Parts: sequence; structure tokens; C-alpha cells
Amino acid sequence: MIQHIAEQFPTVFAALNVGFLQTVKLFVVTLLGAIPFGLLISFGSMSKIKAISATVKTVVWIVRGSPLMIQLLIIYYFPGLVLHTPIWGSGEQGRFIAAAIAFIINYACYFSEIYRSGIQGVPIGQTEAGKVLGLSKSQIFFKVTLLQMIKRIMPPMANEIITLVKDTSLARIIALQEVIWAGQAFLKGSQGISGEIWPLFFTAVYYLAFSGLLTLLFGYIEKKLSYFR
Amino acid sequence: MKKIIALLLAVALMACFAGCGKSDAKSDKTDLEYIKEKGKLVVGITDFAPMDYKDGDKWIGFDADMATKFAEKIGCEVEFVEIEWDNKVFELNGKSIDCVWNGMTLNDEVKAAMATSNAYCNNAQVVVVKADVAQDYQTAEACKKLKFAVESGSAGKDMAEENGFEFIEVKDQATALMEVASGTSDAAIIDSLMAAAMVGEGTGYEQLTYTVALNSEEYGVGFRKGSDAVAELNKFFDECKADGTLEKIAETYKVQAALIK
Repeated sequence: MIQHIAEQFPTVFAALNVGFLQTVKLFVVTLLGAIPFGLLISFGSMSKIKAISATVKTVVWIVRGSPLMIQLLIIYYFPGLVLHTPIWGSGEQGRFIAAAIAFIINYACYFSEIYRSGIQGVPIGQTEAGKVLGLSKSQIFFKVTLLQMIKRIMPPMANEIITLVKDTSLARIIALQEVIWAGQAFLKGSQGISGEIWPLFFTAVYYLAFSGLLTLLFGYIEKKLSYFR
Repeated sequence: MKKIIALLLAVALMACFAGCGKSDAKSDKTDLEYIKEKGKLVVGITDFAPMDYKDGDKWIGFDADMATKFAEKIGCEVEFVEIEWDNKVFELNGKSIDCVWNGMTLNDEVKAAMATSNAYCNNAQVVVVKADVAQDYQTAEACKKLKFAVESGSAGKDMAEENGFEFIEVKDQATALMEVASGTSDAAIIDSLMAAAMVGEGTGYEQLTYTVALNSEEYGVGFRKGSDAVAELNKFFDECKADGTLEKIAETYKVQAALIK
């Protein structure tokens, strides 16, 4: 058994690495998009203009309230099937872009609520003190509120981001070839290896290692941010 | 904030209009013209030896080689895209692929949802069981005692229903085999071409074997419903049969016995 796996390992390892690269790419692109976009959405949901806050809250409800898997299918297939305008193009790249957009929208909505809790959790006295000192609205946000908000939202953000690591596997529904897809390929047969389930089990090692690394990173950041104590 | 929202709305609206505009213009081209104009035949496949599989970075196999030759004939490049098999009809109609060419069984569902070519290969649905009990299950009648695993929406599932077997549906044929190997199901029903490649000595499933063939069926290629590319492909198949190309490529991948002549 062990020798059997040892023989297949180089082939499987190479294929899984290619898949994992795609997983990491999707993870990074999602974060780069969702972190700023989420802030925009959180401003929208806190807007004093009723029409804006109501619209944004409805969108957040829809996105958070429906499965990400369905959102992926809709974003990838809807333009071609219903609007008769296949905008994503064929091949891997189109699938990646569609997946990234679905993930960014989904995670931005979750992030926006975390941001909102962080912003509203900063005592009102801080804003008032800023006003007394004659700071402008944006100065108060960036120099007073934002710093304290970042510190407060770190634990829930870490939670959400580690969930994202594993959620990337949902993208296989539109045939994005991430690491689970790469592992499953050996079940059916690929590169002369067929009927093997261990590559699929082995993909968990990648997720574990990656989330372990992130846990350490967030622990470090939280420690760095433990000022004001 | 207001400005940003207004901008987002404007962009969304424009995207809508652009979509409508294009959909009006598309109807005056036939599917074959659309593919030729694009200069690229996008073939939807799964990793399925010996029909479509990878040799390094290149897709080869009986179906892959034929698809490459067909693309050449209509003056296009060929591009192979791995798809999720359950979504093949969406992929076609959404135009992310132009055809499904992957040892596809021509059953009623497929014929209703796509424009299909003439059959080019014979196949059968066979029962896979553990090798040590295989002799007890050589007829469909004997197999009635078994609990089956079948691919959801597959020809194997149709056979299980037809024979009144007790079965569960799983994601794909490979998972069905996994069920048998791990003992969570007694037997699976899969394609004979796949069974020949995947179970028995020298494969990943040495402890399994296949016994009774429940039916006989045929493989074909699927295009978008109403596509005129089908006629072109049928003509191409006839030419390849006449000049021996089909036979030659089949021999390369050892599927000549299953070929429809």
C-alpha cells in the first residue's frame, strides 16, 4: 500500500500543486477585491439616505441568504443562457474570472457586516472628540475610527478568511480546476492513475497547511494590534 | 456615496442594453458559420481514457483526435475544455463550448436536449461486482439481490430502473466504483469501455470485475439544438470511414472492436 502510493506520489503531487495554485489565486483575488468592496457596501448599508441603505441591505440579504454554489452557477451561465451573450469566454480563464466575481460579491457582503459592527462598535465619544478638535468627517474616519475598527474586526475577519480558504472548492461546480478537482481526477482516471481515492483525501493536507499558516499570521497581527490596552 | 451608486446602476443598465443588442443580432448566422467565424471549435470533455485524456499538456484519445481532425476540416483551431458533465447542456446553450465529444451515450434525454450526430461507437452498460463473488451474478435476474450504485442521470441509472434493481445515485461513475470497492454498495453499473479500462488486473481496482451486459447502446457527438454543424460532422464521419482514417485512429486507442462501420 505504502509503496503503491510512493510510486504514484510524484505524478499526483505535481497535479495537486497545479490545482492548489488555482485555489490560492482565487483566494488572493477574492480578498483583494472583497476587502475594499466590502467597505463600500458597509457605507451603503449605514447611509442616512433611506433609499440607498434599504437597497444595499436587500442586496446583502440576497447574497448572504442564497448558497454560493447557486451564485456561481448563475454568474457563469446566466449571461450566455438567458442574455445570449457569453461574456466569460471559453477555457480556464473565463471560468476563473466568473468564479472570482462571484466570490468577491459574496465575501464583500459578509465583510461589510463585520466592518459595520466594527465601525459602530467604536464609542460615539471618539467621533465627538474629533469634532471638538475640529477634524473633518474623513479625517475622523481615517485617523480615529478606522484604526480602532481594524483592531476590533480582526478575529471575525480571520474566521471569515479561513472559511474562504475552504469555500474556494465550490468553484469546481463551474469546472474551475482547483485542488479538489485535481484530486478527484485520479478517482476517475487521469495520467494513467485511476480508481485512487488517496489523492482526494490528500488535498485536505493542503487546506490544513494553508489555514494553519493563516492562523499563525492572524495571531501575529492580533498581537501587533493589541495597543490601547 | 450617491455618485458611486449612480455609477454602478448606470454600468449595470448599460451591460443590460449591450446584452439585448447583441442577442437581436445573433439570429441571422447559422451555428456552423458562428463557429467558423470564431475560428475555434471549443470541445467540451471530461478526462475519460481512452476517448479524451491528457498526454503531458496535450489532449489525446479517440474522440480528441477525431475532434482535432474535424476542426481542421472546417478550418478552425480546436480547444478542449474540461466541463462538469452534469452541466453539459448549459455549457452548450451558453456557448462556453460548441460541442460535447466525450463518449456520450445517445439516450432520449441527450437527443431531446442537443443536436446529435450519427452514432460512431458501440457501448454497453455492465454490472461491476467484487471479483470473488462474480460467478454468482452472471445474469440480470441474479443481480436483483444486490444494492447498486449508479451515476445520477446516466444510462446506468436507466438500466437499474428498467431491471427493477435497488439503487442509489452518486455523482459519477468513478464514485459508483468507489462505492463497490469500499463495500458501501454491492455493485455498480457503468460503461463497458470504462469498465474495460478501469477494473480488473493491472488497474486501480484489481479486486473488481464486470459481469453481465444489461443493454447495448451507442456513442455520438452533441451540438447545440438545431445546429447545422451536425450535418457537416456526419459527412466528415462518412469520409473518414471511407478512407480508413476512423479505423486507423480507433486502432491507436484499441477501440476498433466497438466501432460502428
